[in-house]
Amino acid sequence: MLSRVAESLYWMSRNIERAEALARIIDVAFNRTVDRIAAGSERARRVWSSVLELAGGPEDIPKFEGPSLANDAFAYGTFSTENRSSVISCIRIARSNALGVRAELTTEVWEAINSMYLFVEAQSPRAIAREGPSSFLRKVRDATQSFGGIVDATITHDDEWSFLQIGRYLERASMTTRVLKTHDAEDDSAPEWQRLLEMCCASEPFVRAQRLSSDPSEALAFLFLHRSFPRSVRFCTSEVDHALHRLSGTAMGAYSDEAERVTGRLQAMLDFVQLQEILDEGPTKFSDRIGARLDAVGMAVQTSYFPRVPVA
Amino acid sequence: MQPLLERYARVDFYDEFADEVGVPRSHYAGLARTLRSIDWSDFQHRVATVNAVLLQRGVTFTVYADARGTERILPFDLIPRIVPGDEWSLIKRGIAQRVYALNAFLTDVYGKQRILRDGVVPWELIFSSRFFSREMIGLKLPHDVYIHVSGVDLIRGRDGTYYVLEDNLRTPSGISYVLENRDVLKRSFPRLFEHYQPRPVDDYPRRLRAALTNAAPFGNVEPTIVLLTPGIYNSAYFEHTMLARRMGIELVEGHDLIVRDNVVYMKTTKGTQRVDVIYRRVDDDYLDPLYFRSDSSLGVAGLMDAYRAGNVVLANAVGSGVADDKAVYPFVPAMIKYYLGEDAILPNVPTYDCTDQAQRNHVIAHLAELVVKNTNQSGGYGMLMGPSSTRLDREKFRLAIEATPREFIAQPIIPLSCHPTIVGDGIEPRHIDLRPYVLYGAEVDVPACALTRVALQDGSLVVNSSQGGGSKDTWILD
Repeated sequence: MLSRVAESLYWMSRNIERAEALARIIDVAFNRTVDRIAAGSERARRVWSSVLELAGGPEDIPKFEGPSLANDAFAYGTFSTENRSSVISCIRIARSNALGVRAELTTEVWEAINSMYLFVEAQSPRAIAREGPSSFLRKVRDATQSFGGIVDATITHDDEWSFLQIGRYLERASMTTRVLKTHDAEDDSAPEWQRLLEMCCASEPFVRAQRLSSDPSEALAFLFLHRSFPRSVRFCTSEVDHALHRLSGTAMGAYSDEAERVTGRLQAMLDFVQLQEILDEGPTKFSDRIGARLDAVGMAVQTSYFPRVPVA
Repeated sequence: MQPLLERYARVDFYDEFADEVGVPRSHYAGLARTLRSIDWSDFQHRVATVNAVLLQRGVTFTVYADARGTERILPFDLIPRIVPGDEWSLIKRGIAQRVYALNAFLTDVYGKQRILRDGVVPWELIFSSRFFSREMIGLKLPHDVYIHVSGVDLIRGRDGTYYVLEDNLRTPSGISYVLENRDVLKRSFPRLFEHYQPRPVDDYPRRLRAALTNAAPFGNVEPTIVLLTPGIYNSAYFEHTMLARRMGIELVEGHDLIVRDNVVYMKTTKGTQRVDVIYRRVDDDYLDPLYFRSDSSLGVAGLMDAYRAGNVVLANAVGSGVADDKAVYPFVPAMIKYYLGEDAILPNVPTYDCTDQAQRNHVIAHLAELVVKNTNQSGGYGMLMGPSSTRLDREKFRLAIEATPREFIAQPIIPLSCHPTIVGDGIEPRHIDLRPYVLYGAEVDVPACALTRVALQDGSLVVNSSQGGGSKDTWILD
């Protein structure tokens, strides 16, 4: 398979996953702030800037103030074309990657991504601002999630699919890690944990898995360390690890390149770390450390599989 | 219920659909019955559905003149064009004959140059052609095939005679529309298909792959074939993706390939892999920055060396364009006679040679009645349609023709045949042409795949997609 194709599949998948995560995070932020936090307050500003920081570098995010803060932040995170990490930008990037590998995609996958793109491009931000963002964000979530299903059901589960899996799960692990980083240290209440769970699509699975008496901070363990919840960082890392081993043919537990080595090392840590250690280190600091490890995995995938100059 | 055909009026052209007294020709009788029985609103509903499907599938082309580089669907007209079996067998023989002769001409021009020595085609015409490649002289190609894929444009005159208007030997596009149009139309009019049973088009990718496999360097029976595309901004990118997907071969861009020791490789996730045949949809000028345009980023450095060393085959061969140079076109019937000893089955359109003093004077005196074409351009660009031109246009062309006569040809305007076409809220006659696609593997193969292009504007004779043309599904009968 062409390196260029592998790279485009990887970024296409990452950007679709990112669009899905952002659509949900923005929707949750909207619903969670609208009844709990006064519009235009310092607290509202903090929540929204943390949401926007989830997606991109904090240095170039405009400062939103005043009573229309939530609407402005929503528009920036959803429709802004200057914001390379807005929902619309992610879908555009994914679609332009898809365009470059259209010969490799199944017709079903291509049509799914193309109609998602056409839908988003046809929206008017003004109409959405008037009706509230929920139904739009819902449609984005539906489209991106069904995209994942179409990929799994129509693409041969060979190398192409493995690169799609790596993109999808690496992005998802990074997103969950960043969401946890926004944990408001001054607010250890149940609703605050609930917000984080909802942003990761985890509130119902968490409730199902926990006892009534459990401590809210167990949400932290759930989102980082759960073995089989599909958005936990541990689960996602394990998917990346498996995909890398499928590509190289190396046995699990061993490594043949840098990507497998850094992924395996992160996986081992997530497999054996305990909740108390995370609490001792502080969730924010721990999230930063995991985030850096995930970035290293991304870099290693890049140099192992899409080198700018091929090695013989 | 408004009858669809009510507004279809007689025209002073050859009408594909109806005869001189307005009665549908026998092969159109079934279609006429269907059109009479469908409600207009139902019909419009089908049109809207079809367009939505095409947009979602991304069956689009890019218009360069449009600054936004917008993707547009090629307007698709739902009324199919029907070609009876006897007409098709004439067309098939005629274009196969032409392609054999053109290929023999290329083998000769880059080889012994007999036809030039014998004075059948003038030396100066060939050596002044922008498409003549000195790099090709003396190069022996597998099976002597230059033009693996071509598309021959046919038009019909007032009496219904088929004429060859152009031989497209340099990466002709449009086959994807043939395949998509058929697929879409089948869903809209299944009953009509049952009635007509047109020959299927969907084995074209398989036959193309067979032709490309046959083109491989000698002795290689399982070659690695790739399709080289200029990339996502090319107007035919959709077609490249479709053909690669349906043939099951890699779609590559120039930077996916690398040449080492005169061998072409593609860069894969598992190292490099050797490439044997390149179906290239990139023009000669951009293929190799070491030989041709040095600013090209679409090609591959060293590709020509690998080609000349016989380690890779390019389809079509570099330099094929000299045979479809518009100024060489008038000599094709002579080529057929020279190489095959036969008369041309399909006639040429009469053409004025502007390098000849007397003919040039005639052209300049009659600019308002002629169509003038630039030999360096195609796709309806750089063309003067005399009757609809302004005085200023004609003056510009006069100066250009006098300055560089080799770059222009002129032809009388052939009144293209007409076909019922959906326009606004009814069906009206519009001008059409026909482009059958030709493959050349072990021998010339003419699949029953042809594109009908239609000039959607009233009275327009220009069918090119870049100039507002549309397309029709084309049914070839047994």
